[in-house]
Amino acid sequence: MERRDALKLLAGAAMLPLLSRDTLAFFREVHEQLPATSALKTLNPHQDVTITTIAELIIPQTNTPGAKAARVNEFIDLILTEWYDEKERGRFLAGLADVDSRSQTLFGKNFVECPEKQQTEILRELDEELTISRPVGAFDSRPRRRTAPPEGNFFFMMKQLTLVGYYTSEIGFEQELHEEIIPPRHAGCVPIEDESNGR
Amino acid sequence: MASQTYDAIVIGSGITGGWAAKELSEKGLRTLVLEAGRPINPDTDYVEHVPVWEKRFRGMGDRWRETETQAVQQKCSAFDEWCGKFFVNDKENPYTTDPDKPFLWIRGRQVGGRSIMWGRQSYRWSDLDFEANQSEGIATDWPIRYKDIAPWYEYVEDFIGVSGQPEGLPQLPDGKFLPPMEMMCAELAVKDAIATQFAGERLMTIGRAAILTRPHRGRAPCHYCGPCQRGCITRSYFSSLNSTLPAARATGKVTVRPYSVAHSLIFDSKTQKASGVRVIDGETRQALEFRGRIIFLCASTLESTRILLNSATPEFPNGLANSSGELGHNLMDHTMGGGATGHIPGNEDRITLGHRPNGIYVPRFRNVKTKDARFVRGYGYQGGGWRQNWEHGADLAGFGADFKRRLSRPGPWMFTFYGFGECLPNHNNYIELDQARVDAWGIPILKIHCAWGDNERLLLKDMPAAAAEMLAAAGAHDIEPFIEDNAPGLTIHEMGTARMGRDPKTSVLNEHNQAHDVKNLFVTDGSCMASSACVNPSLTYMALTARACDHAVGSMKRGEL
Repeated sequence: MERRDALKLLAGAAMLPLLSRDTLAFFREVHEQLPATSALKTLNPHQDVTITTIAELIIPQTNTPGAKAARVNEFIDLILTEWYDEKERGRFLAGLADVDSRSQTLFGKNFVECPEKQQTEILRELDEELTISRPVGAFDSRPRRRTAPPEGNFFFMMKQLTLVGYYTSEIGFEQELHEEIIPPRHAGCVPIEDESNGR
Repeated sequence: MASQTYDAIVIGSGITGGWAAKELSEKGLRTLVLEAGRPINPDTDYVEHVPVWEKRFRGMGDRWRETETQAVQQKCSAFDEWCGKFFVNDKENPYTTDPDKPFLWIRGRQVGGRSIMWGRQSYRWSDLDFEANQSEGIATDWPIRYKDIAPWYEYVEDFIGVSGQPEGLPQLPDGKFLPPMEMMCAELAVKDAIATQFAGERLMTIGRAAILTRPHRGRAPCHYCGPCQRGCITRSYFSSLNSTLPAARATGKVTVRPYSVAHSLIFDSKTQKASGVRVIDGETRQALEFRGRIIFLCASTLESTRILLNSATPEFPNGLANSSGELGHNLMDHTMGGGATGHIPGNEDRITLGHRPNGIYVPRFRNVKTKDARFVRGYGYQGGGWRQNWEHGADLAGFGADFKRRLSRPGPWMFTFYGFGECLPNHNNYIELDQARVDAWGIPILKIHCAWGDNERLLLKDMPAAAAEMLAAAGAHDIEPFIEDNAPGLTIHEMGTARMGRDPKTSVLNEHNQAHDVKNLFVTDGSCMASSACVNPSLTYMALTARACDHAVGSMKRGEL
């Protein structure tokens, strides 16, 4: 069936009872083409492997794939290249370099060369600093889509980008959140029944 | 210069233009619809099912391109990486304001206009609204009352399909509703608490939305994918593209002409009528003229008045149909952004399925049964419940497998009330042509002078406190009241500038949206409004349009036009 023909079906009231979820799924065939993966534009190989490692520590592979499988590093490179301004980019890359400084000071080697236990120790330190520096009552009841990263905090930016990059990937959306673009049904208030969180 | 003659010309193809096209063509008139923007093909232009991972910036938007070309438009809450294309390019469509009086003008130029991205909330006015100007001695009296428009509300609701719950409130009359959408768990809790603790004063109902909850007139019910502003391939919400324009086209009497930027109206001083429309072709920049026996201006509040201001003649040196001097004046927009958010305890094991494209509504309760000493008129709340999700994750401490597990589960139930308040008509809020500058089509741009008054500020100030009271009644914790400082325009309920009234000396349009000065000219979009009420205005624009079409065609048949 051509999409155009399906549209004609939708237009006819007589066909409405036949409007099944499968028919609706047919309309997901509207796709937007993104260019195939291209080379990283901002991150050098060392920065890339550091970012990939940190992202996977934030969202690791469990019984579902993690940030690395979702190629969060490529998303972060895109944001650094085409979305952040120079100041934000500078802050992020300085914060990234600081991760190596910390691991050198603590363990005498670069972050990616440390065993996971030591890497986790460094991230815990960064996360605790973030908890302290986060302003109390900053919760925005009506979150804006695009908020500039808070002043200077590398780990907040890193965490935010990792979460966006992961949960908006096909892997994060479908395998982790069990989200569907066209939900099976609508109900206002029902018990959570299974691991798909009722979605 | 080509010239063609039609029975009727409708300028604009959005919410009111679509209605005028349908009504006039169904009554037998050969009708031309002039639309400034591009045609829309739902098959390829609707993008509501495009997955977020197919968007380059994953929903964060193309920041620098938007900053460059849509600096104003991107402030609209419906604007996103998918549907930004339905909003205008601000560089092609400039306007100016006073430096200390920002106004945000959110626009859509395409077949369907802003009806593609509108909020779909559909509420009737009551006589509390229609009588307010007269009883308080503010501005001018409405020339109509609820009884005049009630049958037209019903007529419009019956065609577009409005889902909602009848409540029997005098200040918010019930409509002809399709079944209401369901409330979420946190909403049910808040609704019950309000019913118990504010009985007789306040009430919470599900939003009355122009979204189908069952099959209706050949259109399919909502499938709860969520982002209506990106289009709807099942035509489940009302837009002119989904509803009125197909009906108009089915008559075989309608021509929709995209890329037709209305420049001005042609006035015939012999007949004292508008004889046609000067148009700039949006693609070729060629100047064209179209002739019509009657003209319906449905280009949106500010655009319709801009066209009239740009149609000055020796008889009307300050703008066509402006013998009153009120054309351009009394610009209003609802004051929005006072409210409160809180955590609603309980229901941790329950969830909402699907993405309901609708919220809740608390109808106006100030100055309804008792008079408030602080301000006149009132406000209503929209808003609703939700469960926090991963988007909140960067604010949470932690990382790793436990953190990931936590983010995949629904977070606490939250609830937000968000207020929308009435705006009083004020002669000093006005628009004029800025003759020094033109838009991309060579048409003089608008200079907008608009600022909130004391009454709007007092309404806004009352919103957080009254919202927090209701959340407290529901046992909410971590209640956070808020007040946003939004410039006028951002609510996108701009109205006034060509008000209806009984007296030609103080108003532009009569009780049938007909220009006092130019009998074959009708203005039926938001510019006709003599006051603003506090409810979303589009349903009223639609009802007024259908009513005006009935009057116009009746007058033509009686040989009066």
